[in-house]
Amino acid sequence: MLHFQISPSSGVPVYRQVMDQVRYYVAGGQLKAGDRLPSIREMAGALHINPTTIVKAYNELQHGGDIEMKHGKGAFITEASEPRSRAEVETEFRRLCAALAASALQMGLGAERAAGILAEEIGRLGVGGKQ
Amino acid sequence: MSIEAVVKTDNLSKTFAGAVQAVSALDLAVPRGAVYGLIGRNGAGKTTAIRMLMGLLRPTGGRAEVLGADLWRARRSHRERVSYVSQEQQVHAWMTLEELCCYCSLLYSEWDQTYAEKLAGRFGLALGRQVGLMSGGERRKAAILLALAARPEVLIMDEPAAGLDPVARRELVDALVDSLSGERGQTVLFSTHIISDLERVADYVGIMDRGRMVSSSPLEDLQSSTRRIQIVFQGDQVPEGFRLPGAVRFETSGPVYTAVVRLTTESDLDGLGERLNARVNTFPLGLEDIFIELFGPDEFTTEHTESTEGRSHE
Repeated sequence: MLHFQISPSSGVPVYRQVMDQVRYYVAGGQLKAGDRLPSIREMAGALHINPTTIVKAYNELQHGGDIEMKHGKGAFITEASEPRSRAEVETEFRRLCAALAASALQMGLGAERAAGILAEEIGRLGVGGKQ
Repeated sequence: MSIEAVVKTDNLSKTFAGAVQAVSALDLAVPRGAVYGLIGRNGAGKTTAIRMLMGLLRPTGGRAEVLGADLWRARRSHRERVSYVSQEQQVHAWMTLEELCCYCSLLYSEWDQTYAEKLAGRFGLALGRQVGLMSGGERRKAAILLALAARPEVLIMDEPAAGLDPVARRELVDALVDSLSGERGQTVLFSTHIISDLERVADYVGIMDRGRMVSSSPLEDLQSSTRRIQIVFQGDQVPEGFRLPGAVRFETSGPVYTAVVRLTTESDLDGLGERLNARVNTFPLGLEDIFIELFGPDEFTTEHTESTEGRSHE
């Protein structure tokens, strides 16, 4: 089972953190179409959190088309794990960038250099998320 | 669509002799299947409210119901659907844990002996040991074991994690998660001052302050409606008389204004930067920070009265 990690006191709702990590693993290629996610019970046990939180995360992921829940079999990553609109994706990415932007300012980095570093990091991950 | 409330209080009040108002006009509703965490400072009235719910204390006003009945008068067949872990373990000290399990199995028709033994192993408790010889932490774990093994529909716990070390608290969280993962839905109400545990398991949070419920909502609503905001104005001063609507507390330092705000919707802050011609950052707050910001020391310097809860134990 892939390692999932949450930080309950971060102020970001826990179900949201679970969703983000599933998407992160999909983006990074560690989870591929057809892969089965841990069961709700396994995931709740491993993360030491309320199972209804996992249910909520999985429901939202299913709603967004990232996973498919097959009754009695579990939750699976879908073929087209990116049916979200461009605008939704951008909103989410912007949310992540807001914190980075604040850090860049605090550290005295200009917008240009901060954008450059982001581009370098994307480059390091390589095309298609492979190392 | 109305959600069925399994644990419910309606205008519940308790005034102790000497006119100490421990609980006043408390409205609480815990939906079926929810895990509801009740937080509040010492003396906020949590224990008194829970004791009235359990039918151990008569209210001076209002009603308290669990599974649709007042437990003060409910029949045993009704009461056995509810487990309670009190702050002081009132188990019979001379019995061994095994004997206590046997005793409880006679009182609770859904008693699950296999589960009790599994929990004893998980908690590191010896079944043959006299409860009176156990440490405080072990006795608390024993009480939690007894409550869970009764396989109740409703589990009510008053400060279950108090006095437990971090490892034991994790065991408690895991036992609870395991119990909640079962086939039969379970509704849980617990009070705590250990907020990090609550963030792992609670889906609803109620905040009590001086006998009143000041906030009761799904945890994520509370998290998303409370933010720390920082506004950095151009120039070297925050404009004279600047006030941000919804700000709970604020401070200014040169051109920087920081505050904790309660938002009605996320979009409250849209365009704020442009309107003020300033740089706006928002930061999420963990529950502990939210609690301290809303009920921190400043709120209490003048009229906070100590420990009305202490009186309720008599």
